[in-house]
Amino acid sequence: MKSPFHGFNAILYKEFIVVLRDPLTLFFMFFPPLIEMVAFGYALDNDVKHMSTVVLDEDRTVESRRLVEDLVNTQTFRVAGEAESLSEMSAFMRQGKAYVAIQIPPGFTREIHAGRTARLQVLIDGSSSTIALQALNTALTVTLRQSVATLLQQTGRKSVPVEIRPQVLYNPAMRSPNFFVPGVIGVVLQIATTFATAMSIVRERERGTLEQLLVSPLSRWGLMLGKLTPYLVIGMTMAAGLFGVMRFVFDIPIAGSLTALYTSTLLYVFALLSLGLLISTRAQNQIQALQMSMMFILPSVFFSGFIFPRETMPWIFQAIGSCLPTTYFIELMRAIILRGASLDEFGFHLMVLAAMGVGLFALCALRFRQKIA
Amino acid sequence: MTKEAPSTFAFARCEVMIECDKLTKRFGQFTAVDQVSFSVARGSIFGFLGPNGSGKSTVIRMLCGLLQPTGGRATIAGFDVVKETESIKSLIGYMSQKFSLYDELTVSENLNFYCRLYGLSGSVLATRRAELISLTHLEPYLERRAGLLSGGWRQRLAMACSLVHKPGVLFLDEPTAGIDPVARRELWDLLFEFSGLGMTLFVTTHYMDEAERCSHVGYIHLSKLVVCGVPDELKALPVVNPPGTKRLDVTCDRVTTGLQAIRRLPGVRNATVFGQSMHLLVEQTMSEETIRTELARAGIPRADIHPIGPSLEDVFVALTQQRANGTGK
Repeated sequence: MKSPFHGFNAILYKEFIVVLRDPLTLFFMFFPPLIEMVAFGYALDNDVKHMSTVVLDEDRTVESRRLVEDLVNTQTFRVAGEAESLSEMSAFMRQGKAYVAIQIPPGFTREIHAGRTARLQVLIDGSSSTIALQALNTALTVTLRQSVATLLQQTGRKSVPVEIRPQVLYNPAMRSPNFFVPGVIGVVLQIATTFATAMSIVRERERGTLEQLLVSPLSRWGLMLGKLTPYLVIGMTMAAGLFGVMRFVFDIPIAGSLTALYTSTLLYVFALLSLGLLISTRAQNQIQALQMSMMFILPSVFFSGFIFPRETMPWIFQAIGSCLPTTYFIELMRAIILRGASLDEFGFHLMVLAAMGVGLFALCALRFRQKIA
Repeated sequence: MTKEAPSTFAFARCEVMIECDKLTKRFGQFTAVDQVSFSVARGSIFGFLGPNGSGKSTVIRMLCGLLQPTGGRATIAGFDVVKETESIKSLIGYMSQKFSLYDELTVSENLNFYCRLYGLSGSVLATRRAELISLTHLEPYLERRAGLLSGGWRQRLAMACSLVHKPGVLFLDEPTAGIDPVARRELWDLLFEFSGLGMTLFVTTHYMDEAERCSHVGYIHLSKLVVCGVPDELKALPVVNPPGTKRLDVTCDRVTTGLQAIRRLPGVRNATVFGQSMHLLVEQTMSEETIRTELARAGIPRADIHPIGPSLEDVFVALTQQRANGTGK
């Protein structure tokens, strides 16, 4: 009886030669992911700092100037200009020269000293909700702190009634790259690996070599596994490079074990390569394969929790997200890299990735027709 | 497995190697192959002829198990091409139209790949590889990338690759398309050699001179098999040699001018240019003198006339016309 993997070694031999023969192909396989990683890593930064701010100080007192200083000292705001009138101030905002406008009306200090509520107007450009929210929070905190200090002074109390002692875990400096970079690795790996296998069988179909394979005693499991293995090796090497960039370029320490990291990556890359193979068995030409791969990449960027937290999404997008291997991988990466989680704490995620990989692989071997029409 | 697929040329028990019975393939509304039946005996060279798009490649692909027939059945050495595809795979070799090779692999690597694909390894692989290299004279090109070979050498490599497992039946889909005449002749020499060893060859071609070399020919036109048989028998068919006619070869100067003149003569059934001469199908009663006179009137003083037999081309033309008339076209 013929082995179910008949011809595997032949395909493996050929694929390795084809992949390693051309240094340019290898270069284009490894170089873009690294660039993407660095670019994504730096570009995706939620830390809003030094927002350009326009100030309209109609009070012109020591107190009003100190308030502006307090706001600037938070590093959230940067005074980009002083307006002389309300219309000038709104022009600053409209023209995009300032995200935030602070208007201190005349009599601001007088109201404070008289024990009445002094009003201060802050205008925020809400075009970008992330920036607006941070500006709002900072402005509120600064003024609230000042109000509390004034109240304490007036009542003669020594301390505030409630005080929180926050402690930020896992990413104490609250740096954005720590959150984004593990996700970027997931997305970048998906782009590189899915395309690689999505093209492989389609290319043989286009060239006519597939016919030659189909008249041979090559088994479909042998074909699929032979196509997948070289890219699994390449994918893992690439992942090692990406982890290196994360550790040494972005200076993100890996809290968990490397074994956990690599086990998760292996299962993830296997699932992605199987997905690519499935595309390859369905697509009639390379353009179709490209489009079908893109179809899976965009949802992985948006619904996997890579940028936006999944919890706040409508159920339909959460459901889409739970079908994507990237979702589980990104959660695993953040858990292992940032929180030092162990594999048995994330057994479910590993199981899902493994099931996806084996399921997709079996599906493409079973659905691959050993006929050309 | 009850039927163990033999992997050598020895099929003594099976004299009919390829058999098609009303083999049919439809793609949607279009019938690519319409109830084609024929059989090919062991050791014969079967030439399968027909214009582009007539269904030649479709027949080959069905016989190789690449396409599912819509109707009818076919067997290779007694194995059904649909139900026993796996048994057939070790029996057949297939050289497709495009000489599908891996361009980025060298000649040597292509050979290694195909040897491994058919399960060869170690010393068996080395021996078989050496045999194939000496058979196809690929020795000087072993380290060259397949993509950089010329047509003739690509064809040799493709042939070597399709022979690694010593198939009993070799299918060649237009093996000589785009190949120089020397390579073409060398390929045919090889094919005769294989045939002598007992291998059955199934060759599609456009070239009539190649058809003349085959031991058996089949002609497919508009998806239907028009005729099938031994070339000499086909040439003796009554439809090819209508009663009361004869075939003449007329060699003269300005043969196209001559042809137009001759076509005007009553009693000329068919006239066509053949290189420096023309081939005529005329009434038995027509004398050589009538032809000479007509040519002289057209300004051609000298002509060399002698009787000839029909060519395979004449056979196919006659049969296609007969079929067209028969269906009222």
